Amino acid sequence: MIKDNKYYILFFVVFMILLPLAYVVGLVDINTITLWGRYFCFAIAAIGVDLIWGYTGILSMTQALFFCFGAYGMGMYLTLSNLPAGTTLPAFMTWNQVSELPLFWQPFESFPAAMALALFVPAAFAAVFGFFVFRSRIKGVYFAIITQALALAMFLVFSRNETMLGGTNGLTDFKTILGFDLRSSNTKLALYIISFGVLCLVFVYAKNLVKSKFGKSLVAIRDSESRMRFTAYKVTNYNIVIFVIAAVIAAIGGILYLPQTGIITPGRMSVQASIEMVVWVALGGRGSVKGAVIGALLVNLMYSIFTSLMPGAWLYVLGGLFIVTVLYLDKGIVGLFDQLKQKFYPVKSNS
Amino acid sequence: MLKKILLLFMVMLAFVKPIFSMEQDSCIQIILQKDKVSFDEAAHQICERKSIGDIRFAAAILEKRLYKSQTIALTKYKGNDDYVPVFSTTSIGFSKDSIQEVKLSRKQRLAFSSLSKYCNLISAKPEVRIMGYQLLISKGVLSDAPIVKAFIKEELDEKVRLSAQSALMGIMLRSEDLKDQDEALLQMAKSRSGIFVNALKDYAELNAEDAGRAEKANSIIRYIHRKEVFVNFIQNLFSGISLGSILLLVALGLSIIYGLGGVINMSHGEFVMIGAYTTFCMQQIFIAAFPPAWFDFFYIMSIPFAFITSGLMGLLIERLIIKHLYDRPLESLLATWGVSLMLIQLCRTIFGDVTAVKAPSFLNGGIEVIEGLMLPYNRLFIIGLTAFMVVITYLVFNKSRLGLKIRSVTQNRNMSSCVGINTKQIDSLTFMLGSGLAGVAGCAMTLIGNVVPDMGQTFIVDSFLVVVTGGVGKLVGTIVSAMGIGVLSKIFEFFFQAVYGKVVMLGIIIIFLQFKPKGLFPDKGRHSDDD
Repeated sequence: MIKDNKYYILFFVVFMILLPLAYVVGLVDINTITLWGRYFCFAIAAIGVDLIWGYTGILSMTQALFFCFGAYGMGMYLTLSNLPAGTTLPAFMTWNQVSELPLFWQPFESFPAAMALALFVPAAFAAVFGFFVFRSRIKGVYFAIITQALALAMFLVFSRNETMLGGTNGLTDFKTILGFDLRSSNTKLALYIISFGVLCLVFVYAKNLVKSKFGKSLVAIRDSESRMRFTAYKVTNYNIVIFVIAAVIAAIGGILYLPQTGIITPGRMSVQASIEMVVWVALGGRGSVKGAVIGALLVNLMYSIFTSLMPGAWLYVLGGLFIVTVLYLDKGIVGLFDQLKQKFYPVKSNS
Repeated sequence: MLKKILLLFMVMLAFVKPIFSMEQDSCIQIILQKDKVSFDEAAHQICERKSIGDIRFAAAILEKRLYKSQTIALTKYKGNDDYVPVFSTTSIGFSKDSIQEVKLSRKQRLAFSSLSKYCNLISAKPEVRIMGYQLLISKGVLSDAPIVKAFIKEELDEKVRLSAQSALMGIMLRSEDLKDQDEALLQMAKSRSGIFVNALKDYAELNAEDAGRAEKANSIIRYIHRKEVFVNFIQNLFSGISLGSILLLVALGLSIIYGLGGVINMSHGEFVMIGAYTTFCMQQIFIAAFPPAWFDFFYIMSIPFAFITSGLMGLLIERLIIKHLYDRPLESLLATWGVSLMLIQLCRTIFGDVTAVKAPSFLNGGIEVIEGLMLPYNRLFIIGLTAFMVVITYLVFNKSRLGLKIRSVTQNRNMSSCVGINTKQIDSLTFMLGSGLAGVAGCAMTLIGNVVPDMGQTFIVDSFLVVVTGGVGKLVGTIVSAMGIGVLSKIFEFFFQAVYGKVVMLGIIIIFLQFKPKGLFPDKGRHSDDD
């Protein structure tokens, strides 16, 4: 048992115990902790991408959008709970000559309702959209293009001022969450630990999901959708369900992401953001939950390193990653390691 | 016509004496010599008199550019250091040394303020004069009528004269004489121009008791509005067609490439960008190496060059990357997205952020079909260019040997290979062709926007929608859906706002795909969906 899972345990020990400990004794800056906390949120979203793209073979360009739905839900709650004393409206609404809080903002005054909506809205959105799209058997490239257009359209809608979501500036300027000061190191550490905990939970959930019969069916859909149809599986329903699950997982990432970044803008939901999420998974190894996590952490780590060392080079690196991953790393890094392992320690398959 | 006006003008000059003897005019001299005793009286007289010369004189005073040389009033205009006489009829010479500025106090200048509303009318620029007249339509008073009439007689520019006549109509609407009013109303009803709306509204309010007259004015306003709606509609239709033709140019290449090899080329937009930058480079080459008179040729030259540069770049990318990705659409989407990122960054490194191409002079301006409906030449040119490229593409595809091979590989790769078609070569050539088309699109886009490294991204998603809606690899489908999406999105933008128009458009496409999942013109027969 322990031998089988030694890497997972190592991973858990490093991030759950060693890194916070290193901070407590002063080896690591609190900003590094927050940075990793953010990476974990991306890793959560990456698991969602892996479920829908890696396992089911549906290339969805809306994962970043669902991520933002979660983040906006959290952001709306934080905006309302952080209103300066004496004001009843966020500043950007006052600038837009709005006198009363719009109806759809009102539930976000309470934390539980806000969280419920932050998860429910992307789920409902995914269910409705998925229903119409999967019903007419739009898939593959067509699905990618349609979702791309959807992401673009939603980006434009969120960027408008009159949709009351903060326009291109997004939502920002939060000071406290549930009464805790967001700028204090303890809150940041707590958010880090929560993010990591949630990542572990989502990981275990995804792992179980793909091992289940449902998960196997997803892989079957990826490999041959029509055969699944012919064997009387309701492929459309499978697609919708996994689309909704992926959306909710992305939204969870978004909810945790916002308090650690302090700002959410429509730019996060662009097509580019979604495609980047896909490349995390592709690099890590599609069709492998741990691959998604590794890919997300690795690419974001590289992003931080490159943008601080040589800002001009990052897009070349990212572009190169896309190409190299697709051309040479079919199974991603995880696949690469498996191949190496096969080469050096050939295991006789006897199962 | 011009001759007639000149003749008329000369005859007029012979008769209207006071204008000629301006220099000897006592009022003018009093101002020039700043005779304090009778200054106010003289200023008052000038303001009352309001001849064209007086207005020039007053404008020079109000804009603080009045000079004199002995008894001659002089002025100079912005951006020009030469002194010119205020009164065009002055023929006496003056020496430069004797020129003095006539400095007047604020109070003295203000004595002429009642003439300030005419200052625009004597501007050297026709558009400023037109603006001045348009202001008079609703703001003019009855006493302005003679001066406007005088200006109409002197005006040489056809457009300005029309605008002056409109101003006169606006003024006549305020006349005491009912006949004048009727005449003005009649003229306005005839012209149906939007510039009269304010004047008519005022008129309707003023004559509120007289129901007949108010109703008459209101009905003219309604006429005008109806015409405006019509003009707007046509204008939107036109910009929709123009948008559609750009979409078509971009989507044509995409569709061909996807149809042939199942490659989703996300970097297609960057080939558009390369075409645009080729045009930009061509412009710089012409500026540097050729005489200015040849400048306009750069654009004509850059069209084939854009095709070639983008095509070669496409060939390079195809050889390096795409050839591994045929029939792996989703992977190709990711890899070409990477290519697109790198190309954008490369371009940003080389060219910086924003550059622009100056449209050649023969594409400036446009045709004014009816008043208020302007069809710009550059948009017409884009539509023409698109039509030309579509015809060429059609001929290449359906009438040439290469096209035959391309269609054959598109339909069945293995079978084509069996009958001796070099499919690899066809792949490369097709990709080159598609990229080249994108390059031409880029060349066209320089006419209507800036040249920026990520310009290709603007149209790429829309172009994909065109491909999806039209049916992959179908020329007719691409044309129909590009025009449809272009025109519909402009019409939706007209009814909703731009953003919501886009959302509605997307909704319609999704609903459309419910019924026709394979696009407008799907392949006939049943194909297996799975690879």
